[in-house]
Amino acid sequence: MPLLETENLVKEFGGLVATDDVNLTVEEDERVSVIGPNGAGKSTLINLITRRLDPTSGDIRFKGESIVGLDPHEVVQLGVSKSFQTASIFPDLTVKENAEIAALAAERGAFGFEFLKHRNSLTDVHEVARDTLDSVGLLDRSDTVATDLPYGDKRRLEIGIALASEPDLLLMDEPTAGMSPEETKSTVELIEQVKREHGLTFVLVEHDMEIVFSVSDRIVVLSRGGIIAEGTPDEIRGNEAVQEAYLGGVEL
Amino acid sequence: MSEKTDTATASTDTTTSTKSETAFGGSLSERWEQLRGREGTVVGLTAIFVAVFPWLFARAPVISDFVQGYQSLATLILIWGIFAIGFDLLLGYTGLLSFGHAAFWGGAAYASGIVAKNVSGDPIVMVVSGTLFAVLLAWVLGFLSLRRGGIYFAILTLAFAQMMYFMAASPLAFLTNGENGLTGVEVGSLFGMIHLEADIPAFGGMLLGTWLYAFVGLFFVGAVAVAYRILNSPYGMVFRAIRENEQRAEFVGLNVWRYKLMAFIISGAFAGVAGSLFTIHGSYVPLQSLFWTESGDIVVMTVLGGAGSMFGPVLGVGLYLYVENIVSTIQALTIPFTDIVLIKDFGFYWHLLLGAIFLVVVWVVPDGLWGILSRIREFVSAKLGGDR
Amino acid sequence: MSLLADIVVILLNGLQQGAIYVLLAVGLSIILGTLKFVNFAHGALYLLGTYAGLFVALSVPLSNGKLQEWGFTSFGLDWGFFAALVLVPLVVFVAGLLMERFLARSFYDRPDTDQILVTFGLAIVVQELFRVLFGSNSLPFEQPERILSVGSFAGIPVSGPVALPIVGNFPQWRLWVIGITAVLVLLVYVLVEFTDFGLVVRAGTRDAEMVRLLGIKITRPYIVVFGIGAALAGIAGVVGGPLNVVNPTIGTNILVPAFLTVVIGGVGSIAGAVLGGVIFGLATATLVAFAPAWSQVGLYAIAAIVLLTRPQGLLGDEEVAP
Repeated sequence: MPLLETENLVKEFGGLVATDDVNLTVEEDERVSVIGPNGAGKSTLINLITRRLDPTSGDIRFKGESIVGLDPHEVVQLGVSKSFQTASIFPDLTVKENAEIAALAAERGAFGFEFLKHRNSLTDVHEVARDTLDSVGLLDRSDTVATDLPYGDKRRLEIGIALASEPDLLLMDEPTAGMSPEETKSTVELIEQVKREHGLTFVLVEHDMEIVFSVSDRIVVLSRGGIIAEGTPDEIRGNEAVQEAYLGGVEL
Repeated sequence: MSEKTDTATASTDTTTSTKSETAFGGSLSERWEQLRGREGTVVGLTAIFVAVFPWLFARAPVISDFVQGYQSLATLILIWGIFAIGFDLLLGYTGLLSFGHAAFWGGAAYASGIVAKNVSGDPIVMVVSGTLFAVLLAWVLGFLSLRRGGIYFAILTLAFAQMMYFMAASPLAFLTNGENGLTGVEVGSLFGMIHLEADIPAFGGMLLGTWLYAFVGLFFVGAVAVAYRILNSPYGMVFRAIRENEQRAEFVGLNVWRYKLMAFIISGAFAGVAGSLFTIHGSYVPLQSLFWTESGDIVVMTVLGGAGSMFGPVLGVGLYLYVENIVSTIQALTIPFTDIVLIKDFGFYWHLLLGAIFLVVVWVVPDGLWGILSRIREFVSAKLGGDR
Repeated sequence: MSLLADIVVILLNGLQQGAIYVLLAVGLSIILGTLKFVNFAHGALYLLGTYAGLFVALSVPLSNGKLQEWGFTSFGLDWGFFAALVLVPLVVFVAGLLMERFLARSFYDRPDTDQILVTFGLAIVVQELFRVLFGSNSLPFEQPERILSVGSFAGIPVSGPVALPIVGNFPQWRLWVIGITAVLVLLVYVLVEFTDFGLVVRAGTRDAEMVRLLGIKITRPYIVVFGIGAALAGIAGVVGGPLNVVNPTIGTNILVPAFLTVVIGGVGSIAGAVLGGVIFGLATATLVAFAPAWSQVGLYAIAAIVLLTRPQGLLGDEEVAP
């Protein structure tokens, strides 16, 4: 059974078809990248899976069960986590608190009634938060207020928040958007490291081909909302339809 | 109500402390002890403040002559203080601006007054029934108003609260006595023996004044303890997360909607305790207590003092009520120790003065007077540190 | 009177009541829709309009407040109502420009909450200024005898009853309020729908970012939008003044229904504001006639029902609503 599966997924905005009959499967322990020219419907696809948008028709299944009809936080609770295109963090809280909030949601569920319980007693939450910060290399900056971090570190924190909820599947929406070359390099290292250490399954949406071809097991190419090709990086590299529709003949 | 919560808090305290000590030793449990100490310190200092405040305000030589305070105003400040602490949990910590909290304040005031007239005038019964009413109402109104964010929340809460006001004014006048307000509320004695209006005998009386003040003071200390604990619970973290980045909070798997509803209900409960105490304090419920200007007042007080801080809103309450009740009686503002009149009929301008200060605070120092005080403290301690 | 006559009277009263809401709501709505600015001081502009209207049109004795203490026994130029209808919108237009330039503009990039707080603060300050100057007592604002009464103009009588078919005598001023409102709203509608200025405004309502990217300098249309919204509130004050009591709290009191009109109609929609105002006016007039105790409650109940079933407002656009 695939971990994630979309079946004949369609999303229309007014008359515009943003997602056109997409059948995507992601197996456990697989690293899949979704690429495509601007406006191909990559972000729409991610937003459909995270339940930010309602599909016009079709089904999305996670671990075999349909998630259409769930709220975003319920999808996260099932094990799908998302990192955003921009550094979506809690700016006025410390780095540690940022990670703790994510860990709290993962360890204690979407809602609880513990409003008179001192947070220092939540040892499980603290441990998860600490491990997460350690793995994204921000442990030594625990007490920094998040907004004071340099942009690259904010993005690392953003990925850390997504990891702290201990997802079975991580969706990354352009994790290197707006980064300097050095920051991009260190983010790629981070992704590689997370892949090694956590054996994480992820879906990556990315513009930067270098990253895509280096971290993916499989690449899915979208154009005008539909899948036009999929395969291993080598297969995609040689695929003429892809070069035609998307890469515009650029040598890779 | 507060007694109950207090014991609940205390028992959580002991269980968690044993758990944390056995679970892991060393530095973490030490830090725990420090923080627990800090919580104890906050509550302890609050209790000391409550104990000396009416004496300083109304009876101490020189000081009280200068500030011109009086006992019942001290009581009123604590009552509004409870209201403001609860309101700040919503505005300052969760980032939701309600313009309808008069519904809970006034609703509880009416509920406790109506219970006193028809069922029992026992002060505890009054507070419990008023608070219960406020909680239920907050649950319903929160459920309806939180469907949309931003300005819609402000306008919907405002609309529902105004609806309550007009309900009380006319269709429900048989219960509320309409425009005249609920008169003839007779507050019974506490535990069947203590008359709240009576002075406390001996030294206690010199400090606290009336039993009513002591009664309200207990609730105030309880409110501070509960609010402090909430802010240091998982809820406190989640509330601030929602304030900072609601979308992100949803996408780490938190049920943002239910947490917002809880924040709304909790702040409604604080308003309910305060509203009930207001009826006990005045033996009367003015229709005005449901009017939207009352919601506006709590907004002004909270923001003026400093939303998002524990004690800022109480400071704001103190300033507001002081200006409203004491500065407003000043005939002419003179240069101290002279007869030179700066502004004639100074007290007449009290509301204008408050409005202007509020405007400036929102514009220039969004963290309020408490924020200014904190910065002065930091500045001074930095200076002192530098000199050393 | 016949049932039909009753119904017509309720309709006319409702339209007149609604007209004031419409004038306020159209202004609020274009400001909220175009500038994304929440103006809790819109009621203060209405207040300014009423007092300025009173000042220009009539001359009334002052009984308390600082002005009277300072020796002013009466207040007003007594230039007549037509002068007020022309001058007051100009005055309030300028007040709106000043408000945009010196207050609103610094808050466009701040959260809704801050906008609400700062304009609420301004509303308090304005209200209290008027209280200091004129006292808390109500001032008499008589319905104008004639609209044109200056110089050699032939006066057109506007107060007193007029004989209408079916209903018989009806207060003439109420009809004028409806007429003036209809003309003004139509003017604003034409301005927004059929001019270049309106195009920028509408585009800004849809997507301010895009308009900025297209290189259209949006500051000037913005400030004008604010001014127009303010001027409409000023006119609402002039025509509404004679129908209600005039005291410093009228501004804050009318703000709540005005905002509700905007949100039930749909933010940014002129037609929505008109529809909302008419619904409120008719509902109020009907309830006043049949169940006066519930007349105010009804307004809020309608607002609640509409917002719960159609959160974007009756004619609101899902994607535009903030």
